[in-house]
Amino acid sequence: MRIDSTVYVPAVSRQAAYLDWLQMFSGICLIIFMYLHALFVASIIFGTGAFNTLADFFEDYYLVQTGGPVIVLIFLVHFILAARKIPFSSGQQKTLWVQSRQLAHRDTWLWVVQVASAMIILLMGSIHMWVVLTDLPITADKSAARIQSGFWLTFFLILLPLVELHVGIGWYRLGVKWGLIKSKARNKVKRFEYYFTGFFILLGLVTLIRFLFVKI
Amino acid sequence: MVRKLIFSIFRYNPADPSSRPQTKKYKLEETENLNLFVALNKIREEQDPSLQFDFCCRAGICGACAMVINGRPGLACHTKAKDLPADISLMPLPGFKLVGDLSVDTGTWFRSMNEKVESWVHTDKKFDPQAEEERMGNDVAEKIYELERCIECGCCVSACATAQMRDDFLGAVALNRIARFIIDPRDKRQEKEYFEVVGTDQGIFGCMGLLGCEDVCPKHLPLQDQLAFVRRRMGIHALKRILPWKN
Ligand code: HEM
Ligand code: SF4
Ligand code: SF4
Ligand code: FES
Repeated sequence: MRIDSTVYVPAVSRQAAYLDWLQMFSGICLIIFMYLHALFVASIIFGTGAFNTLADFFEDYYLVQTGGPVIVLIFLVHFILAARKIPFSSGQQKTLWVQSRQLAHRDTWLWVVQVASAMIILLMGSIHMWVVLTDLPITADKSAARIQSGFWLTFFLILLPLVELHVGIGWYRLGVKWGLIKSKARNKVKRFEYYFTGFFILLGLVTLIRFLFVKI
Repeated sequence: MVRKLIFSIFRYNPADPSSRPQTKKYKLEETENLNLFVALNKIREEQDPSLQFDFCCRAGICGACAMVINGRPGLACHTKAKDLPADISLMPLPGFKLVGDLSVDTGTWFRSMNEKVESWVHTDKKFDPQAEEERMGNDVAEKIYELERCIECGCCVSACATAQMRDDFLGAVALNRIARFIIDPRDKRQEKEYFEVVGTDQGIFGCMGLLGCEDVCPKHLPLQDQLAFVRRRMGIHALKRILPWKN
């Protein structure tokens, strides 16, 4: 907190509150999308038939063609809103780093993970969405060819855990910030969050491995 | 077996131009029920009379002895040596003006904070010393008392990465203080007035929910739940303003 040195009183606006609401809503949209997305892609585990049926369904009803760009938009809005809280100056970054190391405090570390993963997801998520959405329709063969090329396998091996960590920490943080998760339940929910995230990383890995064995 | 404790203590006297920030080591044999209050006094008496640190109540009431103990802000008088490893590092609380060594000036900060959130009951009623005190329900009184227990030690501010990164952030202690007045029926301030104080990015919307505050508060104030309470109240207040029939 800074100590006042002027008598200037700024006008109060409600902007901070609105932006906080928007940040939460964009976050929730992306959280729901990411978990559903993980489940849809995992349909490959049941074979190319299942995957293609789902993909066809989403395209026949123009859900990919309309939902895709909407997600891209929410993705960018979410980033711009969250960026207000991300330390970009090296001074702040150093403070955060020193603070996290000294305090050895799990929730502060989780925030560092969230900020760091956000930067990588911004870049890799954009590339990924661009590649998929400019090469419609989605088919199991095309996805499998990409993943079997090796480059995209490495790409997803990096993106997958980062996304799951970011999303998992994200809903936990929203819960404690708005009071959906009360102090008493906090440790239990946090443990659940670890398992939940672990499950989705595992599911993603199995999905990727399954893609490697799709005959094109 | 008696442990030999090694204290690594931050030493720096800003008033002395020749002084440089450094860490000095002091050895001390552990005695029964040794707490850091006693340990520091022993070191000052027996080894180094120039060591500066603050104490007053030595019972966790005044909040003067807060310092960073092995990385975590806490009260020295509340911390027993037996709960710590033999290597103990002591640093002054970050985020406050350093007086010297382990002593910081939390008073100026807290005075400014209290002025900012106008930490008093706002009322138009004239005080009548003859009249019987107005009654208050026991549950409300207890709720207020729970939040009143804050001893202004500053640990929550030092443990908050947000407060450390942004020096205009109010901090959990101020947001908790506002929550205390929101639930106090004697305070005539309305949602709008509270919003003006904390409905900003320097107030509740700057808090990122890292909960360092909650985890270090030596008085175990319910900071997490209070922060969420204030966020909901202020968030809903702002939303109501865009509904035309609520204006
Ligand atoms: C509308 C937007 C999106 C569509 C249509 C989409 C579609 C797909 C498809 C078809 C795959 C299979 C692999 C491939 O074909 O290359 C995939 C995998 C993946 N996507 Fe997306 N995606 C979208 C947005 C996102 C976003 C925003 C993220 C993260 C920020 C993301 C993260 C991932 C990850 C981590 C994988 C690997 C999944 C796994 O191994 O289970 N996607 N996506
Ligand atoms: S809220 Fe807790 S940590 Fe913060 S000043 Fe009050 S007693 Fe200290
Ligand atoms: S929850 Fe975190 S950001 Fe908010 S006041 Fe507490 S430590 Fe600071
Ligand atoms: S000396 Fe008063 S709280 Fe420790």
